[in-house]
Amino acid sequence: METDLLNTLVTEAIWRAEELEAIGIRPASSAWKDVSRIEEQLATALPVSEAQGRIARRGAVDAALKAGDYDRAQALADAYIAEEAAPVSLKNALREILEEADQALVGRFQHAAKHVTPREARDIERRSREAGPFGLAA
Amino acid sequence: MVGQAAMALERNGHAPGVRVSLDLEQVLSNGSLSWPRVDMSKIDQHDHNRITEDGAEAVALTLAHRHRAWRIVRRMQRRERADWLLEDARGNEIALEVSGVDRGNIAGRLSEKLKQVAKNADIDQRWASVVGFEEPAVALRSIGGH
Repeated sequence: METDLLNTLVTEAIWRAEELEAIGIRPASSAWKDVSRIEEQLATALPVSEAQGRIARRGAVDAALKAGDYDRAQALADAYIAEEAAPVSLKNALREILEEADQALVGRFQHAAKHVTPREARDIERRSREAGPFGLAA
Repeated sequence: MVGQAAMALERNGHAPGVRVSLDLEQVLSNGSLSWPRVDMSKIDQHDHNRITEDGAEAVALTLAHRHRAWRIVRRMQRRERADWLLEDARGNEIALEVSGVDRGNIAGRLSEKLKQVAKNADIDQRWASVVGFEEPAVALRSIGGH
């Protein structure tokens, strides 16, 4: 897909997600998921050496977190950090985005944070989700 | 966005053709703003602040295109410290942060927004634009030109 078209789509998607968020409508998280997917496509189309490529990479990770999908954010960040041509500034920015999300989680669950790290808490949550409500899922 | 700009102007008592003060890199001039009239009876259905912010974006982007021939590349997420990525006729990228002021002076907001867009590390040309709706005024300034 052409980057001009992807830029138009991401503009509309960000606009929609911001509007939904501003009026406190719950589906904002699914709107951010759309943003993350389009940013990811832009990141695939644009090299990390270009500013727009870096904007798209940060945007894909950030929007995944706003959508509440930490696993996706982590996977995207890992992939972008592993890119050979990725500048240190981008790698640091991606780590900061994830760190901010961890700190936000610690702030919300201060008591639990004394016993488990944010990453451990997310692993427990993922295992519970995969196992189903009574641990009966195959 | 044009509808929001129209509401932001009309709720301040302005009509199409209103005079606007322009500050382009500290060069002062005057212009006029025209827009299709809107039904103000439904203004209560819109968020007050969104009218100001979205309206400001419409006016600022129009001014940037009219006076600098910049075109929109894309909207950016908040983390980028700028609302819009634009490009000039030579393909140089520009980060533009926009804000609106419903009542009062725009000078304070402009320096606040210039500080914000200065934190964008990826784009060389960083600009801020603030639109005032009470006495229509638009400022468009760069980090270097501040």
